[in-house]
Amino acid sequence: MRSIVRLLAHRLLVAAVVLVGVSMLIFGIARVIPGDPARIALGPRASAEQVADLRAQMHLDEPIVVQYGHFVADLLRGDLGTSLYTNRPVTTDIAQFLPATLELVIVAGIMMIGIGLPLGMLAARYRGRFADHLIRLVSLLGVSAPSFVWAVILVLLFAYFLPLFPIAGRISDSYTVPTVTGFLLVDTLLAGNIRAFGNAAWHIVLPAFALALSGIGQAARLTRANMVETYDKPYIEMAQAYGFFPARIARIYAFKPSLIPSLTIIGLDFAAMLGSAFLVEAVFAWPGLSRYGVAVILRKDLNAIMGTVLIIALTFVIVNIIVDLLIAFLNPRIRHSTRSSA
Amino acid sequence: MKRAIRILSRNPLSALGLGLVVLIVLAALLAPWIAPYPDHNGAVVDFLNNNKPPSARNWMGTDLVGRDIFSRILYAYQTSLVLAVVVLAIATPIGTVVGLIAGYLGGWTETILMRVVDVFLSIPPLVLALAMMGVLKPTLTNAMLAVTAMWWPWYARLVYSIARSEREEGYVLAAEVIGAGTTHIAFREILPNCLPAIITKMTLDMGFVIIIASSLSFLGLGVQPPTPDLGSMVAEGANYLPDSWWLTVFPGLAILIAVFGFNLLGDGLRDVLGVDR
Amino acid sequence: MSLLDIADLTLSFKGLSGLTEVLHGISLSIAPGEKVALVGESGSGKSVTARIVLGLLQEQKTARIGGTVRFAGQDLAALSPRDREGLRGTEISMIFQDPTSYLNPVFTIGRQFAEVLRRRDPGLARAACEARAIEMLAETAIPDPARVLGSYPFQLSGGMNQRVMIAMALANHPRLLIADEPGTALDVTVQAQTLKLMRQLVDLHETAVLFISHNLGVVREFADRVYVIYRGRIVEDGPTAAVFGDPRHAYTQALMAAVPRITGDGLPDVPEVSEAFLAPKVHHRLRSGRAT
Repeated sequence: MRSIVRLLAHRLLVAAVVLVGVSMLIFGIARVIPGDPARIALGPRASAEQVADLRAQMHLDEPIVVQYGHFVADLLRGDLGTSLYTNRPVTTDIAQFLPATLELVIVAGIMMIGIGLPLGMLAARYRGRFADHLIRLVSLLGVSAPSFVWAVILVLLFAYFLPLFPIAGRISDSYTVPTVTGFLLVDTLLAGNIRAFGNAAWHIVLPAFALALSGIGQAARLTRANMVETYDKPYIEMAQAYGFFPARIARIYAFKPSLIPSLTIIGLDFAAMLGSAFLVEAVFAWPGLSRYGVAVILRKDLNAIMGTVLIIALTFVIVNIIVDLLIAFLNPRIRHSTRSSA
Repeated sequence: MKRAIRILSRNPLSALGLGLVVLIVLAALLAPWIAPYPDHNGAVVDFLNNNKPPSARNWMGTDLVGRDIFSRILYAYQTSLVLAVVVLAIATPIGTVVGLIAGYLGGWTETILMRVVDVFLSIPPLVLALAMMGVLKPTLTNAMLAVTAMWWPWYARLVYSIARSEREEGYVLAAEVIGAGTTHIAFREILPNCLPAIITKMTLDMGFVIIIASSLSFLGLGVQPPTPDLGSMVAEGANYLPDSWWLTVFPGLAILIAVFGFNLLGDGLRDVLGVDR
Repeated sequence: MSLLDIADLTLSFKGLSGLTEVLHGISLSIAPGEKVALVGESGSGKSVTARIVLGLLQEQKTARIGGTVRFAGQDLAALSPRDREGLRGTEISMIFQDPTSYLNPVFTIGRQFAEVLRRRDPGLARAACEARAIEMLAETAIPDPARVLGSYPFQLSGGMNQRVMIAMALANHPRLLIADEPGTALDVTVQAQTLKLMRQLVDLHETAVLFISHNLGVVREFADRVYVIYRGRIVEDGPTAAVFGDPRHAYTQALMAAVPRITGDGLPDVPEVSEAFLAPKVHHRLRSGRAT
């Protein structure tokens, strides 16, 4: 247990360093903008005075290092500035839009793990046979298209052609659910409204699946590769020599050791879905961070852009820490090691 | 090279991949000659024939202003391939050099370089590219710039992990003992051992760059009309589902086929070159 | 009646360049409680023979197997795969050369031990498994068996893992134990200790052993009878004392001559192939020690 605490401390330290780097990177990107951010924000019809006021307010006339100092100081106070697009604090905007995106990504992540890992396991167990070839082909197809293409194809097939799922949105208009967490699947349950929960779940199936497809393919390919490697290990021969059932060997004795190296990449894929969510949200008119993100990018709303990217980087870093802890928990070598491993 | 092609074609899936890639490259190169309507490449309008379903005249139908979708897909492949090649041609050397230096030198150089790489890797690729496009003008050149900026760290990490393990190998020690210089060891001794992994990754990445670039233009932040681009074609058509399905389905499938081809080929190369990462 | 009876066993692998023959008609028998060694250099076909007895190679698509293997009178080829599987870990068990890598790195010894015990007794409760495992580990002279059960293989020494593996192998009272170069990966002294222990235990439980080794010194100590195998053929067999006292076949003689005098350990450095090595098999009859 002590080694886990040490690992966590080390990871948090690295995460802090990375987040400082991310803030510098984002700040850097925002400052290479050609033209005057204040002028862009106010539009061509603003007076020179208005522009000068805003420049002062945004500290644009001070040296770049000082500007970064202001930026970080605001950041530490939890202040991401005001969005020029919505005229509200960026934090308010993000708090409103982030839950819908997270909900989508989490459901997609569950699909990725729940479908991808078993597929990879099956392919490894029946390697070289028909099931293996089929799963390889399907998972390769899964990773071979951006999620917006899958979204369009799924909508066409399962919302228009076979009207099984809704075309867009998070929930039908006839339901009103008080917002508590912003996660509709949670809020509907908190409100005790099972029908609304069912409706929200019904809405999330297609977008989450479109988002998950490439992750499913990736997870299946990775699991297969690592498990095939594990099958050549002596301890699997031992399990076979002792007559353990093949299904049990696959599910337990070969799966767990091969899961450990897969997890890091699965974590990265999970986090990458935060990016792809932008694409899926656009197709399904999902009221998440994407519409906000694209809108502020098109309007060159710097505060909002920086805030959005920072929040996504933060989520990414948190997911990676969780994955590292999960690996430590699964891998007895890390859990029981006496010295901290880098 | 010949041997590699022979081994590749023995595996039916790799052979399919090689075939698809060759087909797509040829389609892009020969677009001006094989496209039924070469001039539909640009801002042409033909409102008499707009939004027509697939027919003998327009195999994949026509778009909202009457341009032949098949012709535009051929030209869009040009855009995609040029973008992917340019991105990889810039990102790979940068990432390779950074990874080699960090992996071979170690110490503070390693810590600093790899932390910078970590920073880039902790933002989803698409989001970083989006943020860059947010402050840049949406043009083909800027799209290449944005994608390149987020792509090199992946090569740095790949080469770094190989270089770090090769550093401990006997042949590196042997070279150090006979007094070979740092540059010589890094580029002449270690780099050749990274090449199979780099080549495999580049092949697979051709597909992924196409995905990211089409995603940018799908959101309206990449290549701008009238330049034909698969991502923006899907985006345009998405508003006219399900009736004008050909507007989205064909460009979407075009992306799928191209990326699928590069993935199959990359998988095959991985086996041929014995790459395990 | 013999417990294990192998008659004219052949094995070949189908590869890219056609069939590769590995075993050219091997015959071998083991009586209940008897300790029999199969000796030869690496690649001679010892290990594949063991894996055929366990029924592991039968499942490989590329393997072509001929001849018969009878265990307790039953022809293994006539059994369904399921019944063949049923023998493994219960009637027949196996000890491998490198104990640490043959134990699963991510499960505790206790968990793996329980899995072995449940092969014989599927409904065995956790506490019962633990009690039985502790009993078996105590038999192998492991101090503090309860702590070992809660450990992972990487936390134990190679010698300790070897004892664990011996305990697991004998836990279900198998009638036949196959030992494939046991402990070759360990230190010589540790190997000697664990072999002595294994011998005591198989004598105690009256378990028959098929002992596979390239180490003549160890074989001489351990086995009642010896089969010498060379390139997939048995070249000489008979009681240990007879074969060692009076090696008749050219290959056996070369093998004996190559044994380092002092320790009796290490790979015999057998000279290049000689025509004489391919001479017909020599058989020492029991007691008489005279070759036929």
